[in-house]
Amino acid sequence: MNSFAKSTLAIIIAGAALSAGVATAQEYPSRDITFLVPYNPGGATDPVSRQFASQLEKILRVNVNVENRPGGSGTIGLGVIVRSKPDGYTIGLSDIGALAYQPLINSGLAYKTPDDYQPIVKLSEQPIVLVVRADARWKNFDEFLAEAKKNPGKMRVGVNGLRTAPDLVIQQFNKVSGTRIVTVPFSGGGGEATIAVLGGRIEAMANSGAGNLGHVRAGTLRALAVFTKGKYEPFPDATPVGDSYDATLGSAFYVVGPKGMPPNVLNKVSSAALQVVKSEEFLKFTKTHVYVADPKDSQEAKADILQFSKTYVDLLKFIEQR
Amino acid sequence: MTTVDGILYGLQVVFTYQNLLAALAGALAGTMIGVLPGIGPVAGIAMILPITYSLGPTAGIIMMAGIFYGAMYGGSTTAILINMPGESASVMTCIDGYKLTQKGRAGAVLTIVALGSFVGGTVAVAGVMLFAPALGQFGILFGPAEFFALTAGGLMILSRISGGTLAAGLFPMAIGIMLSTVGQEAVTGYNRFTFGFNDLSQGIELVALVVGLYGLAEIMLVVETVHRRVRPVKVGLRDMMPTRTEFRRSWAPAGRGTIIGFIFGLLPGPAATLSSFASYRLEKAVSKHRHEIGEGAIEGVAGPETANNAAATSSMVPLLALGIPFNAITALMLAALMVHGIQPGPLLIPNHPEIFWGVIVSMYVGNLVLLFLNIPLIGVWVSMLRVPAYIFLPLIVVLAVIGSYSVRNSIFDVYIFLLVGIIGYVLRKLEFQLAPMVIGMVLGPLIEKHLREGLFMSLGEVSVFVNSPIAITIWILVLIIMTFGIQRALLERLFGIKLGKVALGGNE
Repeated sequence: MNSFAKSTLAIIIAGAALSAGVATAQEYPSRDITFLVPYNPGGATDPVSRQFASQLEKILRVNVNVENRPGGSGTIGLGVIVRSKPDGYTIGLSDIGALAYQPLINSGLAYKTPDDYQPIVKLSEQPIVLVVRADARWKNFDEFLAEAKKNPGKMRVGVNGLRTAPDLVIQQFNKVSGTRIVTVPFSGGGGEATIAVLGGRIEAMANSGAGNLGHVRAGTLRALAVFTKGKYEPFPDATPVGDSYDATLGSAFYVVGPKGMPPNVLNKVSSAALQVVKSEEFLKFTKTHVYVADPKDSQEAKADILQFSKTYVDLLKFIEQR
Repeated sequence: MTTVDGILYGLQVVFTYQNLLAALAGALAGTMIGVLPGIGPVAGIAMILPITYSLGPTAGIIMMAGIFYGAMYGGSTTAILINMPGESASVMTCIDGYKLTQKGRAGAVLTIVALGSFVGGTVAVAGVMLFAPALGQFGILFGPAEFFALTAGGLMILSRISGGTLAAGLFPMAIGIMLSTVGQEAVTGYNRFTFGFNDLSQGIELVALVVGLYGLAEIMLVVETVHRRVRPVKVGLRDMMPTRTEFRRSWAPAGRGTIIGFIFGLLPGPAATLSSFASYRLEKAVSKHRHEIGEGAIEGVAGPETANNAAATSSMVPLLALGIPFNAITALMLAALMVHGIQPGPLLIPNHPEIFWGVIVSMYVGNLVLLFLNIPLIGVWVSMLRVPAYIFLPLIVVLAVIGSYSVRNSIFDVYIFLLVGIIGYVLRKLEFQLAPMVIGMVLGPLIEKHLREGLFMSLGEVSVFVNSPIAITIWILVLIIMTFGIQRALLERLFGIKLGKVALGGNE
């Protein structure tokens, strides 16, 4: 090794040692944060994650890098978050299905309850909308329901996979209203359920509103009902089912991290996160993207997840009894 | 808006600084993504998706479309040169493309592919432009029953796709189907064959499988017998140019490939990949030189490579006309639109003509650019074969590992890549065909999905699968194709009629 290489190496080592020393002494956050999204870009979760990350960046003054880690209905990416080092540099998005439903049917996961991870903030919800073809014989939800009650087990509603949010809310509705509407699972993006409705192969479909808004506005599909309490702004003509039945399960999105984060780190990241979800900019984003804003801090988010868990357990019992 | 107005309007849209740059950057990036083994258009578009968020919606879609069809140009390069498909739509190209390279025709084949891709892409754009709203309705005609017929029937027909003995094709195909069942099952979300490994619940990634099966296995074979490696002589302009015969033999497969690709693009599913299978199979059946296909015939390259470009282009129809993404790539494009608050759906074309016409015109421009970009590059690609093996082979392995990892940011997929590479090596040694394994892997889950969807939809009534005219037509066609050998034997025996012209039965 010649002297130049030696001195270069010495400088590099010294520099590394110095920066390591600075890093430990410095306050959180001192380097880039990884924000994991357990779904493919292209789903409902990616845009909201990137919006959240870009706003978090401005508050914490470090880069927040969004990384997609899809697979296993969101459990693979969530597993990576749960198993990561609790230093506040790995956090990510998760949805209520992966957080509360998957542990009920899947025993091999790295988590079971909200005690196994750290809820940081609740981002938003997405209600489920029931649509039919525009020329269908049911002009409103009451007519649809009347026919469903008359022909139990004959009305078919397309959903994007069994025990996904749209399927579960239909089951919940069956449970509280004593109806038997059948769900038909179309896997692969939800587009196929739309084709099946447009092609007249099934009577209706249920999914988060965003996917069908274009068709409803174009007058090729009609929104009959939305599973919320009170009107859902993007679909003003849809009957809010939640006003008369306790069937309002939808999708809900949270930011979570591994458990055991140091209190100062947790405080900093969760207060910054709360600041983001309560900001004007974020509320405007959720509105244009057909989400429903529901800002909740880490304590409230945890209670929220537990509440969902309870509903799922009851619902699963009902589904299995039948 | 009439077509002429539309084109003029589209030209205005495209020939702005930002949109033109988006088209060129997309086409270039697409070619690179296609050339790099393992990094396919889905991973490539996913990687640049955040960039498109900051572009306008029109520029974003133009760029993503450019990557998609650009990847179809580039994807065949490594398939032809080193028997390693750049993405799954180029699996069929390996068979004849690589054999032709071994015969010293690499430059000519790549030229034919570039020309074929250009033809397929450009003709399909014209089709999209003229018929987009009407063609959007075509996809609606297909439900679970029709798709079950198409995929299950397709599997039967494709089982003999790459020749060899019956077992040499069926055994790998069965393995492919079995591998495709591993992981979280799509309908109910339950885990199958994961043996308690949570990593397995994400399933076996197709890209890792294809790159391992072909690429890694091929590299091991090359290492085993270094002298087997193709050493092309200096590629002059003459070697780059296809001969008159090669040209003459290519245009009919390219024409058929365009039609097949265009139709598959209108249907849900991995259109580019499926159309390349179908086109190869069709050439094996109807081409004049069908006996040579599998042994290094230009038809086996020209058809599938044209088809996948046409499919990439026409798969824009369901997205733009219906707002429904029929494959992973158009789903990403949909996301890019929705990020900008644009609601895809039947109103997209009337409400946002700048997107529709901008994309159409950008595809004409992009295809032209790709043609002029790819022809000079052929010399560069071919000369890469002259890089010493001890540099070239490790480099390919590194690229393949990156490719396998990048699809899902998963180190598990790299392990799969390595494991499958060994399996592929053993299968190749035992003279099994590898293409049927990929076909099983692609079609297996589709068949299961449509079978189950159909049964759910009909409330358990099996007759749903033969109740639709389209499904019945498909099944009859499958039956005719499957029994062609018997039919011909019967005709000969009973009436003394000799059928020499078409051989739909496969292994003639």
